Amino acid sequence: MPLPAKAFQLWLHGVAPTASTADICRISGIKRTTLAQQLVRGKVAETTLVSISRALKRSPLEDLAWFESYSELSGAKAPTPAELVSQIATMDLLRAVISRSSPAYGGYGDAGSALTPELSPAPHATSVRNWVDAIDDGELRHRVSAATGVAPQNYSAQLTANRLSPELAVATARAAGVGFTGGLVATGLLTEREAGWAPDARQLALDALSDGDLTALAGERLQSLGKTLRRQEHEHEQTKKIWENLG
Amino acid sequence: MIAVLQWTTFAVCAIVAIARIPSALRGENRSIFGVFVLATVGILLSIDASYQAIDAWLGAQNYANLILRFVIYGTVLLAGYRIAKAFDAPRSIRLITGPAGRTVLAVIGVATVVLFLLADTAGSVTGLASLPLRSPENEALIEAYAAAGRLYPAFVAACIIPATYLAVRQRLPMAIRAGALLLTIAFVAMAAGTFYTLLPSEFGVLEAAINYTSVLCLALGLALVWISSLLAKRAVRLASR
Repeated sequence: MPLPAKAFQLWLHGVAPTASTADICRISGIKRTTLAQQLVRGKVAETTLVSISRALKRSPLEDLAWFESYSELSGAKAPTPAELVSQIATMDLLRAVISRSSPAYGGYGDAGSALTPELSPAPHATSVRNWVDAIDDGELRHRVSAATGVAPQNYSAQLTANRLSPELAVATARAAGVGFTGGLVATGLLTEREAGWAPDARQLALDALSDGDLTALAGERLQSLGKTLRRQEHEHEQTKKIWENLG
Repeated sequence: MIAVLQWTTFAVCAIVAIARIPSALRGENRSIFGVFVLATVGILLSIDASYQAIDAWLGAQNYANLILRFVIYGTVLLAGYRIAKAFDAPRSIRLITGPAGRTVLAVIGVATVVLFLLADTAGSVTGLASLPLRSPENEALIEAYAAAGRLYPAFVAACIIPATYLAVRQRLPMAIRAGALLLTIAFVAMAAGTFYTLLPSEFGVLEAAINYTSVLCLALGLALVWISSLLAKRAVRLASR
């Protein structure tokens, strides 16, 4: 659930006692009407808090943890290597495969990893689903659904759309028994740095993958990317046909 | 109440027909333009004021009603074929334009004409409402004639419902899904026409409401898809600038 407005105002008063609502909106880039609406409804979006916290040069992670529903975030466990690798974009994984190949194929051989271009920052286009896949033991979705009351198909739809509410991301991490920052990074609420990840954490996790594991993982990613692209192409064709015939 | 629905449906069909004139002149999907023109004519032929005027001109033998039947068959055939093609439903197309569909159309067409000619239809009566009262024989003939007239739209509608219903649930642009939903409602209402004979005659108002809702949904559904295609084309043009 989003943050309760009362607690939010208490927090805001604590961190910026002299700032007016207008000041807060100006420095954080939030529309005044948006904030006013969230306060009136009694629910403030986590993204609002993160924007304000960023603007005040504070730690969004710690500020989130200040709220009761996110108290588990303080002292959060570090992400697992699988979670870190899940936050590497598919194209970066493929680049790593090529970098590790022999020079005849444009790679650098065994020294490949060290010479790979820098990874693009998380999150990527399929961050959310890849993160859940990385921590899923096969029963995870059922446990999340049982714990939160969100129907499995709605949960899947969110993953497909590369979205997950912060609340569900935390619930998923809890159900999987992993640290809480992975989901918040995968959904784009926090940056890796804000989540307390080392700058080279993902690169190190990637380097630690064996050639076989990396290739298999890249293959899986490529296959699901192919499926997505084909489905999109099919939908595009369908749309075109409908417009051609009825337009 | 029914009059409001009638004139609204008429206005929607006429406006879309007029709006489609330029694209029809350019040769784009003339059959859809035809659907709207035929639908407009059909509604004119079922509204009391215009029916009386047209039928008087045709000799006050209710030939206007006979023409209305064939206008409806034409509208439904054209719209059904185009929609089945648009939603990529080869089975629906085969059913509508294949031997089965042609036989159904021929049999219903002949039955419509024969039953009309056999019945006593002298004197303009909108919707042939009071003709069955003339004699038991006329009642049977007119009812069979009306049932035949509802059968062909119901047949075409039943052929297409699966295609449009599937499209509602697919991941397509929102406007197309909304259009498909409207078309599905239109066809369900059209297919329901088969069962009117089972309804007691007091439900005549309900029948008319369902019929016009059906035409209105068909027109709005087609218009929505058309507008979304125009917007998409404009977006492409703006992007390529």
